[in-house]
Amino acid sequence: MTENEKEIQGTRVIEVCSSSDLPPGEVKIVDGPDGMKIGVFNCDGKLLAIEDRCSHDDGPLAEGTLDVSTCTVECPRHGSLFDLETGRPKTLPAYEAVPTYPVIVEDDKIRLEV
Amino acid sequence: MATPEQAVTQRPAEEEGLTEINSDYKEKFGFSDPETGYVYKAPKGLTRELVESISEYKDEPQWMRDFRLKALEHFESRPTPQWGGDLDQIDFDDIHYFVRASERPERSWDDVPEDIKETFDRLGIPEAERQFLAGVGAQYESEVVYHQINEELEKQGVIFLDMDTALREHEEIVREHWATIIPANDNKLAALNSAVWSGGSFVYVPKGVKVEMPLQAYFRINTENMGQFERTLIIAEDGSDVHYIEGCTAPVYSTDSLHSAVVEIIAKPGARVRYTTVQNWSQNVYNLVTKRAVAHEDATMEWVDCNLGSKLTMKYPSIYLMGERAHGEILSIAFAGEGQHQDAGGKIVHTAPNTTSSIFSKSISKDAGRTSYRGLLEIADGASESKSKVVCDALLLDENSRSDTYPTIRIGEDDVDVGHEATVSKIGDEQVFYLQSRGLSEEEASKMIVNGFIEPITKELPMEYAVEMNRLIELQMEGSIG
Repeated sequence: MTENEKEIQGTRVIEVCSSSDLPPGEVKIVDGPDGMKIGVFNCDGKLLAIEDRCSHDDGPLAEGTLDVSTCTVECPRHGSLFDLETGRPKTLPAYEAVPTYPVIVEDDKIRLEV
Repeated sequence: MATPEQAVTQRPAEEEGLTEINSDYKEKFGFSDPETGYVYKAPKGLTRELVESISEYKDEPQWMRDFRLKALEHFESRPTPQWGGDLDQIDFDDIHYFVRASERPERSWDDVPEDIKETFDRLGIPEAERQFLAGVGAQYESEVVYHQINEELEKQGVIFLDMDTALREHEEIVREHWATIIPANDNKLAALNSAVWSGGSFVYVPKGVKVEMPLQAYFRINTENMGQFERTLIIAEDGSDVHYIEGCTAPVYSTDSLHSAVVEIIAKPGARVRYTTVQNWSQNVYNLVTKRAVAHEDATMEWVDCNLGSKLTMKYPSIYLMGERAHGEILSIAFAGEGQHQDAGGKIVHTAPNTTSSIFSKSISKDAGRTSYRGLLEIADGASESKSKVVCDALLLDENSRSDTYPTIRIGEDDVDVGHEATVSKIGDEQVFYLQSRGLSEEEASKMIVNGFIEPITKELPMEYAVEMNRLIELQMEGSIG
């Protein structure tokens, strides 16, 4: 387990940051389990988390452009557009979904369930 | 490209045909018109201002302007690819990115400016339209100068327009599908096309409509150091059927031009789309094209890709089989003569169960020409019980020619059936000797062997194009013996 990972009632939880540290239109990339990374996006108030890995060629995804009007992120390497709610690609060349994770806000803290 | 008019009317006895093909590309296709009387010709070079002015000139919606500008950023931030052919010789600052030769696309040849019409007359396009096409688009430089579709098809709801007009008249449907198959940032050349695109075709075939005769687009570059960046989008609704043919030629110049198209095709459930290319650019054209299609459930997508001309072609039509029982086929011919490199091939990705595909590639190299087959076959997790066959054959006509094969196969399922065959051969002395013993000259014998080699693909072309394709191959073969 990484420093920011905990187990609460059998569920692994990752501390992301305080709510104020993730304003609308921003992203935080955090360490997840087993060496993976997860991007947590604030899509105009809606918090959404997706693995930071494009299913096309396993390159980083979360540093791509966030479109808050559609809650999508564009892969910076080949331009596939991913729906942050479902993880499904809306355009090629990616065709497989990327895992998404529930985001919880408690006591002004943003946490991920993984 | 194919000039069916000549094929139909000038194909008498074999001997006469062989005499005829002595004339070279320059006379048949390589002529140029004076670059005068143009409506607008942008200065050389690629800048943000140029991209903005193209968009403004075309009076585009804001989303398209934003798309172009973002694509320009992608183009500028991406390195030039170092695989495939040598692209380092392209000077992107020494290209005219936008040249408008006439005011608007006309629906009657009589209204097309005289000198441009003469060019297409020489290429046999209006004649072909009368004889066997359901619709024709003719692009000259950056924009389409003529566009027409059979009235019956129009009544059935088929849309066949130049891309600029389609964006104005059918913005919603264009926007819904635009760049969903090939995003602006897919690769450096797709980014360039996305930034400066102009012209190309938009085809929409409504549910259940079968377009019996082919639609054709013909692309002509005239200006020296010109960049042509057309953009084509074909949407075939459920159960529809369409065959689209494109051809292209350019004048022979001593400096290089660039052709970089993007073609996106969507074959919805049960639809069938065939896209045939007869590429015959002059040998000073870099031909760097991104073509991709998706085939949904029970749909069929076929690329028939014939690459004859150009200095360097890098083109790998691809098909994503997205729904169960979808089928994809790629038939590819590449012919490389002196100073030419044809880096062609195809990609097929099976993402759904029970999908089937095949890639047949034939390449011919002569006079130190170079052909490369570059292909990908991928069967993704979940695409169980899929079947695919890849066959790539290369024919070398002399010691100095070169052929390379770069096949990639990725398989994520156990219960699939995948075959791959590759051959490289030379014209055999025994074959030539046998044909000579039957009364053919050595040159005729070689031509016959080459035509036999590519026959599995030319037989898939409409008759007029198959004849023309054989003629072009014969033309390329001139002087290859002795």
